[in-house]
Formats: sequence, C-alpha cells, structure tokens
Amino acid sequence: MVRLVSGMTVTERQIALVVLLALSLIGLAMAAGGRGDPMGAQGFVVLVFSVGLAFAVMAGYYAPEPDESRLTRYYDDPTKVGIVLTVIWAVVGMAVGVWVASLLAWPELTFVDQAWASFGRLRPVHTSGVIFGFGGNALIATSFHVLQRTSRARLPDQFTPWFVLIGYNLFCIVAASGYLMGITQSKEYAEPEWYADIWLVIVWVVYFLLYLRTLARRKEPHIYVANWYYMAFILVVAVLHIVNNLAVPVSWGHAKSYSLFSGVQDAMTEWWYGHNAVAFFLTSGFLGMMYYYLPKRAGRPIFSYRLSIISFWGITFFYMWAGSHHLHYTALPQWVQTLGMSFSIMLLVPSWASAGNALATLNGAWHKVRDDAVLRFMMVAAVFYGLSTFEGSFMAIRPVNSLSHYTDWTVGHVHAGALGWVAMITFGSLYALVPWMWKRETMYSPKLIEVHFWLALAGTIVYVFAMWNSGIIQGLMWRTYNDGGTLAYSFLDSVEAMHPYYIARAFGGLLFLSGAVVCASNVWLTIRAAQRERRGETGTDVPIVAGAMQAGE
Amino acid sequence: MPEFFHRKIERNAIGFVLAIVGVASIGGFVEIAPLFTIHQTVEDAPDMRLYTPLELAGRNIYIREGCYACHSQMIRTLRDEVERYGPYSLAVESKYDHPMLWGSKRTGPDLARIGDKYSDAWHVRHMINPRDVVPESIMPRYGWLARNELRVDDLGEHLAAQRDVGVPYTQAMVDNATRDAYGQATPDSDAAAGVSERYGAATQVRAFDGDPSRVTEMDALVAYLQILGRLTEAPYKQQSTAAGE
Amino acid sequence: MEIAHDVVVAFSKSWGLFYLVGFSLCVVAYAYWPGNRKAFTRAKMSVLDTDDRPLGDRPLGPEA
Repeated sequence: MVRLVSGMTVTERQIALVVLLALSLIGLAMAAGGRGDPMGAQGFVVLVFSVGLAFAVMAGYYAPEPDESRLTRYYDDPTKVGIVLTVIWAVVGMAVGVWVASLLAWPELTFVDQAWASFGRLRPVHTSGVIFGFGGNALIATSFHVLQRTSRARLPDQFTPWFVLIGYNLFCIVAASGYLMGITQSKEYAEPEWYADIWLVIVWVVYFLLYLRTLARRKEPHIYVANWYYMAFILVVAVLHIVNNLAVPVSWGHAKSYSLFSGVQDAMTEWWYGHNAVAFFLTSGFLGMMYYYLPKRAGRPIFSYRLSIISFWGITFFYMWAGSHHLHYTALPQWVQTLGMSFSIMLLVPSWASAGNALATLNGAWHKVRDDAVLRFMMVAAVFYGLSTFEGSFMAIRPVNSLSHYTDWTVGHVHAGALGWVAMITFGSLYALVPWMWKRETMYSPKLIEVHFWLALAGTIVYVFAMWNSGIIQGLMWRTYNDGGTLAYSFLDSVEAMHPYYIARAFGGLLFLSGAVVCASNVWLTIRAAQRERRGETGTDVPIVAGAMQAGE
Repeated sequence: MPEFFHRKIERNAIGFVLAIVGVASIGGFVEIAPLFTIHQTVEDAPDMRLYTPLELAGRNIYIREGCYACHSQMIRTLRDEVERYGPYSLAVESKYDHPMLWGSKRTGPDLARIGDKYSDAWHVRHMINPRDVVPESIMPRYGWLARNELRVDDLGEHLAAQRDVGVPYTQAMVDNATRDAYGQATPDSDAAAGVSERYGAATQVRAFDGDPSRVTEMDALVAYLQILGRLTEAPYKQQSTAAGE
Repeated sequence: MEIAHDVVVAFSKSWGLFYLVGFSLCVVAYAYWPGNRKAFTRAKMSVLDTDDRPLGDRPLGPEA
C-alpha cells in the first residue's frame, strides 16, 4: 500500500486526497439527502470507500518521492492492481452466477426469505460482476500496459491511471450493492441508476483523456492497431452509455429515475446500447487484447496487419446497425428489423476476418499451442469468437430468431461468447502478463494453468450444450401444435422440461468457476513468489504490492 | 486520397477519435432517428389510460425485484404466441412506459396480457409462495411484499418526474398522488372516489392484498399486474376485426 | 415544421447504403495503398521488440 502511494509525487498525493475528500463529501450528501431512500445507503457505500482510501493514501503520504529515473520506466502499478481486481471480480461474479443458476434448478435453495437474496436482485450482480467487474478491470489493466508498450511512452502522470481504475471500481461497487437494495433502471446491462451513471461518465472522460495524452507522447508515428480497438471501446461505450442512460431522477434524494425514452424508442435505444455493449465492450476491447498478447506470446507477428485494419472498420461500422435483431416480430417497425438482420449477417465478414487472422497467426506454431496452455487459451478464445459470431449472425435471421428469442438459446449464445471468447482471451492474456509485470520467468505453476484450461474448456462446453438443448426444446415446445390444431404444451410443461438442463448448466458454471479459483490462486502464488525473490535479492523488506487495494482497507 | 486522409487522422489522435465516433454513430442514428417521427404511423388509441400512482408504484416494484429478467411483456406477431398469450403487442401500449419492460427472456411466461386473468387472491398466494398454487414453478418467493408497507409519501414526485419525461399527468394527479394510492387500495375510504374521477371509471379500486387496513407493496404489485394489457382496448379491437375479415 | 416519417425513413435507407459502399471503398483503399506497406510491416513487427522501458525523448519517425 505504502509502496503504491510512494510511486506518486507529493502533489499527486495531495490531488488524490482532495479528490477523495470531495468524494466522501458527495457520499455524505447522498447519505443525508437520501434518508428514507436506498440512496442514503448508497451514500454510505461511497463514504466508506473514499474515507478508507484516504487513510491508505495518508499512510503513505510521508514516504519519499519517486525520483526522476521513474520516467525512464513504464508505470505499471495500476496495471498490477488492476490484474488483482480482475481476478477478484472474476471469482465473485462467477460465484454469484453459479448460485443464481442453482436457484433456477432448485428455487427453494434460497436460504432466507429476504429481498436481497432473491434471484431477481442477485442476477444483475452476476451480469455486472462479470461484464463490468471482471471484463472492465481486465480491459483497463491491459489497456494501460498495451498503450505504454506500443507507444513506447510512459503514462503522462501517476494520478490519472489510479483515478480511472479506482473510480471505475467504485462504480462497480455502487452498482452491485445497489442491486441488492433493489436499485436498478431495469435496462439490461445498464442497470445502475443515474448517479452511478454520471460518475462513470466522469471516470470515462478521464480514461479517454489519459489515452489521448499518452498517445500524444508516443514515440512511434503509427498507432498500433490494438490501440484502435481499445480506443473504439472507450469512445463508443461513452456514446452508448450517455444516450441510453438519459433519465430524469425523481429528486436529488431519490435513487430512482425515469428513462427519457419510452416504449418502442426505448426498446430500440436499449438494444442499440445492449448489442453494442457486446460489440465495443465485450468484443472491440478484447480484440485489442488479442492483437497484442497473442503475437507477443506466440513470438510471431500478426498474420495480416491489413486485415486487422479492415476488420476494425468493419466492426466499428456494422455493429451499430445490428441492435434491432433483438426486437424481431415485435412492435418495432419491420424495416428496422430487416436492416438489423442484414447488417448482423454482414457482420460475420469482419468477425471471421479477426478470428481467422488470430488463427492464421498461430499457423506454423501449433507445437507451441500444444505445449503452452497460455497460448491455447488464446487459440480457443479465437475459435469461440468465430463460433459465437457465426451463431449470432445466424440467430439474427428473423425465422431463426422466432424460435431462439426468449429462450435459453440466447443465454447459451451469450455464454459461448462470454466464457469461450471474453474470459478465455482474458485469462490467456493475464497468464502472459502476470509474469512480465512481476518480473518472473513464468507463472508460479504452469501446471495449474493447464488445470485451469481444461476446467474452463469443459465448463464452457457443458454450459453451452446444456443451453442449446434447453433453448431449442423450449422454443419447439412453445410452438408445437397437436393434431387438433391447438398448442400441444402448456408453458409449465416447458419449465419442467428445462430442469435437467438447468442442473447441467449450474454444473458447467461450477467447472468454469473452479477454473477461475485456480487462476486466482496461481496469480496470488506468483505474486508472493516474486516478492520473496525480490526480498532475497535486495535484502530489504519490500511492502506488499497486491491484494491491497480493496475497498475499505 | 483515402490513404493520405487516414494517415493524417491517425497521426492526429483527435481526428482518429472523430472518425471512430462518426463511423460508429451512423448506424444508430439511421435506425433510431426515424422512430421519433413514428407517432405519425403508429396506431392511435384514444382510450389509452395512464398508470395510477398505485400501479406505477407496483411497476417500480416489478422493476426493483428484477421480474423483467424472466418475464417478457411483448407478444410477437407469431401465431403460437397470439394463441398462447393473446393479441400481439402494439407499440402504442407501451408509449407511457419509461422505461419499456419488453424483456428478452421467458424463464416464466409473457405477462403482457396477464391483467384480469387470475384473481387478486391467486396473485397474492403466488407471490408469497409460487409453489403453493403452481407446484412445478421455479419462481422465487416474494414474501416481503406482503410484509412491507408501501412508500406513498413521495408518489407526487414520481408522477412529476414522469410528467417531465412526457407522460401527460395533470397537476391534480400529481397533487393527489399519495391520496390516490391510498384510496385505490382502500375502497371504503373517502380517498377512493377521487381515483376513478381522475383515472377513469374502469379503474380497479379494491384491497388487492385482501387487507384494506394497510397499503402494502403487495397491493401495488398486484394492482400493476392486474392492469397489464388493459390500458387500452385497441389491440383486442384491431385484431378481432382483422380476424373477422 | 414537422418532418414526415416516410421522408426520414427513405433518407435513412438510401443514404445509409451509399455511405456503406463509399466507406468500404475508402477502408480497402487505405489498407492496400502501396505507400502504407512500410508502416504496416513496421507496426506488425514492432510488438515483438523488447520493450522493457520507454524510448527517450527523441522521437523515432523522421516526420513525427
């Protein structure tokens, strides 16, 4: 903790304290103004978070300033902490996922008849926990690393990256705790309420400016393509987030707000957001990751740089049109549905170009893939990326969608992407990144990486197959007619038919979660080993680096 | 000269940023912008009524508990859906829904036309323990709804905020929101008359949770469920004529 | 003045298509422009360099 603070100049420590003070005042105002409303409790979350961090900064306040030689090194402390946070969110988010999956199989498993423990409130903790907690932290941590390396420039200062990382995690914590209190906008994947949304905009603008400032310092005339993807992620998510979350709060003291849009416009805006959150949060950013860590780990340049450029613009352009395929056969005008369908199919071209580019990079290095589980994570990610983009385009076709929509097939599709692509590429990148960051040859245990790989792969396959089966059966049961020309099954028949698949799904999730726990242990052991080695070398006691930046510490 | 142009925007990161935003915004703009002129083509429903304060509070509970994650409120224009759930949903039906609750998943059945299909007592029992009335159900229990007193003191502010985003609540509705919420769930009180006066004679005024002595969250949620699909008769009329042709 | 729905829709449909075609041509032209080959090859190989510290204040490229 002290060592982290000592990486900042005294001025930066002062700025940090001022920001934390302002934040705790905001928390206090929320707690006071929101009495009698869940807003008050959210205020306390903000207050505890910022006061806790202020103590941490103060603990290191009088540590010696970093010397000028720091400017000849990259600034990696935020990346290191970001990696630790990524792993923590992965375990938490996936654990909640397994829990809610079990609730669907055995609804009486809920141990208390309390609102916060019910499925409806826990589910967004899972979705936000994995998408924003795990995915978002992974993107921020790796983007700082990739940005500096490809620009050959150090981050412009030591405060801003912390503001982005910590501020973003405050958003995640406020969101997750809010769900348990029943605070949600009900917009899928945009559940946090207006004050959290405003805070995220501030964090995001700073993130964006940090990116631009570092790019401005770059020593390479050309911006490496991975940064394009990260930039598109930052920029477009900002646009989506702001537009979709436009709302009028009930009052300054209420957590509740009402969306500016209603009905069909709201539906289109929500799925324009929702689908592009998939595109620019869960695809673009992670492609950025892939375009750096895959060639780096394989020791081979990307197969075709040109192709990566073409697919970049393809993805940036096509995805934006595809959102309306979430609304086939609804009250949305049909021409918009058709447009969404057409572009979803065209989207396959840049998507497969990216996936193919990744696989072609590995072509000729298959022996490495065979021996190195890290590279195998990345390869499987590329394969699942290809598969789930194909599946996505397929499901966007109206008649297919008439069967798949509203069923578990959608859930299976999402998890093929989320587990198979997003999580796999993240774990692969983390396993490559952690040894570099902590200056070790390898992870603590390459064997555990192997174990993780097989758990993750098995978990994904079990999950996806369970959901394919249940989804297609559901869809067919709903539309099956008997000879008399009436519907053959009641809705409840379909619910009952799902039971075995829901058990299988929970089991698949459990396998995947176990893999994440293995990963967390491996990362932790690696960090500890690195610290021991360093201590042995220098003979001095070096304060603990990681695991230290959680809220409230 | 695209080559020159791209090299230029790329060297200057700001230009690159603008290019990304520009390229990315087009799709959304082209698809969403026309929807804001759509009222010119959308079906008209002059009988469309507003949510009462109690129903709005119920809707907020529906949102709070995440019901939308497992129940859709959008019947698609497919034969099996129409036969299972009722007339397909029209755009006009959710025009006062800020936000819409069309949903994306049917772990449970669609609720767009659930109103008046079951009795209040059935809903209450079902919420307290779904397996009491539907043994195969996998829905969670919502026992606290019956225990929690409904917060009504701030409903005026809620209606005012709704009015800010375009729902035509009158000043009288905003001023009487708290009283109307109480009145709708307390049929014997003086406050009950004002509800039908402001929201129409068809408004359901009764003790939804079976207990007229207090207004609970259960009152609000059941009131909301019972109005689903009954805000306008337009879909029933329109589609019965279509079938007759 | 109110803009008619049909006009907005027609504009969206037609203009969107022209935009798409023009845009794709620009991107492909850029990616295959012979003058860019050197920069791309350099970028492609650059990630493989050892990069344990930032470069000094002297920028690399001749024109940057």
